[in-house]
Amino acid sequence: MLDLIFRGSFIASGAAAGGESHAADAGHHAVSYTGVMVYVGFVIAILIVCMVLAKKGLNNRFFKNKITASFEQLYYFIENLAVGIIGPHGRKYIPMLMVFWLMIFVSNLVSLFFDTAPTADLGFNLAMALMAIGYVQWEGIRANGVIGHFSHFAGPKLTGALIGINFLIFPIEIISEAMKNLSLTLRLYGNIHGGHQAVTAMNKLGEPWVPVGAFLLPVKLLTCVVQALIFCLLLCVYIGLVTHHEHEEGHAHDDDHGHEDHSATLEPEASPA
Amino acid sequence: MANDIEKKPSSSTTAFKIIIGITLMLAGGYLNSQHTFKSIEEPLAAQGIPLTFGNTISVIGVFLILFPVLNSFFFAPLMTAINERNRELENTFSEAESLRKEMGDMKSAYEKRISDTEAEAREKIQAQLKEAQDLRTQLMADAATAKEHMIAQAQEEISREKDKIMNELRVEVVNLALGATEKLIGENVNNETNKRLVQEFIEKAEVPSK
Repeated sequence: MLDLIFRGSFIASGAAAGGESHAADAGHHAVSYTGVMVYVGFVIAILIVCMVLAKKGLNNRFFKNKITASFEQLYYFIENLAVGIIGPHGRKYIPMLMVFWLMIFVSNLVSLFFDTAPTADLGFNLAMALMAIGYVQWEGIRANGVIGHFSHFAGPKLTGALIGINFLIFPIEIISEAMKNLSLTLRLYGNIHGGHQAVTAMNKLGEPWVPVGAFLLPVKLLTCVVQALIFCLLLCVYIGLVTHHEHEEGHAHDDDHGHEDHSATLEPEASPA
Repeated sequence: MANDIEKKPSSSTTAFKIIIGITLMLAGGYLNSQHTFKSIEEPLAAQGIPLTFGNTISVIGVFLILFPVLNSFFFAPLMTAINERNRELENTFSEAESLRKEMGDMKSAYEKRISDTEAEAREKIQAQLKEAQDLRTQLMADAATAKEHMIAQAQEEISREKDKIMNELRVEVVNLALGATEKLIGENVNNETNKRLVQEFIEKAEVPSK
């Protein structure tokens, strides 16, 4: 059992058998397409089961069901994160942030007990990063318009001969924006896959009797939380950067009208969910 | 606040997202099976970057399905429940606040009524006291008048009785004097004349009373 949990391949190897691994050499194994999809399905199944159980406890005035109470706490946590970083209009991003948080966190938890996990796959992480950064660009365009959003990449508005600096800043900012995908992807992949590699390497020290890598379990558990937090936190920061002008203008508009109706300035917008 | 997060996307948008998601999932699987990105993936894998673009495309599809499904299945009901509870709590607090205000108003009205009642009672007591004082003064005055009247009447009666007794005394004295004189001189003198004479004498000899 220990071998299955800490060193074995369990589902991953079974699932990988149905697909094809392109880079099984040199320790950089990539789980096959089928394997990743099995893991993703497993994570989604865990989420759905938890949500079905939690939904039963929604009828009470106070959530006595522990799973419902946990989701409630997660909601407040994400709300604080969104409102604290993005601002009051950050509430509309809560469902999206919760989906990202839950997918990353549960995937990371899966990585504690199985040989691999969705978040230990570069393709999966890249997909999440592309979704996140793509959504940030979409929100930026919605908030500032196409020209307004892309003019941000050119830096502050300069005049005269200094305008050349804007042309220099623009490609750098575009590359920087594209690199956000890479940074989000590699950070998560490095932490989760690196955790596996560390466990595997340490297990070799105590083979065949002592699973030394098990001592890394608390650190890996901390990594599960921290990585989910970092991903959502950075997403909030990115959204806040592209939408804060809209919010400030909304406040300025309020001031012009003597704070008549604060909520009226915050146009309800549909979240991606 | 609640409107922002409770606003549900239209069903057509959700259906569109799900269709796109399923398409991407299938497309990712198909492209992976056809090794479409092999020319990019193999050099990357050789450099230790095990990236599978088919996975990426499929996972994007999965997320496009997950966002609306999880939102409508769980997040929207969860947020509705939390917001309803918060609204209910806010209502309870505002109700408690209005009740507290109402209680304060009632308390101040009650205190005002008490102070009014006390002032009215004080006023009535003062009026009663004044009335009693007046009555006392009146009664004292009446009593004094009655006393004076009674004293005067008594003095008058005393005077009258005195006069009457004096007259009777005079008559008695005259009779005694005449009787004594008659016995002394042994003869019957003219009673009428004598009486008149004695009477005149007594009246002249009478010491005026004080």
